Amino acid sequence: MADLGVERADFVAVPVQDLARADAFYGKTLGLRRNPNSGERWVEYELGNVTLALVSPEAMGPDFEARPHQMPIALRVADVEEARDKLEAEGVQLDGEVIDSGVCHIAVFFDPDGNTLQLHRRYAPFADGTTP
Amino acid sequence: MIEVQRADFVGLPTQDLERAERFYEDVLGLRRNPNHSPGWPEFETGNVTLVLTDVAKTEQEFSPNLGAVALRVPDVAEAMERLRAAGVEFDFEEPYDSSVCHMAFFRDPDGNALILHHRYAPYRDGSTP
Repeated sequence: MADLGVERADFVAVPVQDLARADAFYGKTLGLRRNPNSGERWVEYELGNVTLALVSPEAMGPDFEARPHQMPIALRVADVEEARDKLEAEGVQLDGEVIDSGVCHIAVFFDPDGNTLQLHRRYAPFADGTTP
Repeated sequence: MIEVQRADFVGLPTQDLERAERFYEDVLGLRRNPNHSPGWPEFETGNVTLVLTDVAKTEQEFSPNLGAVALRVPDVAEAMERLRAAGVEFDFEEPYDSSVCHMAFFRDPDGNALILHHRYAPYRDGSTP
């Protein structure tokens, strides 16, 4: 093992083509807290335990082509059905109805650049009996 | 507006689950979550969970994740050398100095982007990471 001493994930980059549009989506539509240390070209949003960094042509240069996340960043909400309805009312692109995996509720949706996100709520305890 | 409580996990696509598991556990040295669901291995970075997802389980074409997960390490240059010794290749010879942090850009075996990251400068409000 390399034993790198990984302490935490400082951020997860989210590729976006239009920074202003993404800024509005993560801030206003999703209602996430904007990191006050964000700059004009590097904008961050806080999920509580980890930071999303919007990576855009403003930060990377005009040739940057945003290739969206194929797999989801899962956002924990109290009630997936209720949150899904709110996003639908806001005109957010959703991928079908709420799914019950047998241990959690999931609703997949996309940001304006096509990055995959999901509303997530685990209702079943984990294998060791603990709950989220 | 919805009320997001936290990020439960970040999904990373793979075309070879066993190879990816070896990389995250043995090369990066991340702790495996013993509570993972069968077939969906999870690794802990300390604050957020990474879930390796075999794209064969989905109806999607594989597309590597280029929105990097930045892993905080105490010393980027040292961590780079350790990963090089384990056969990992980096985009640049030396750590990149953004003037507030050191970064080293690399990929997992599926091509998912990762960064070794260490911010050395305080934030504008004077706080430090």
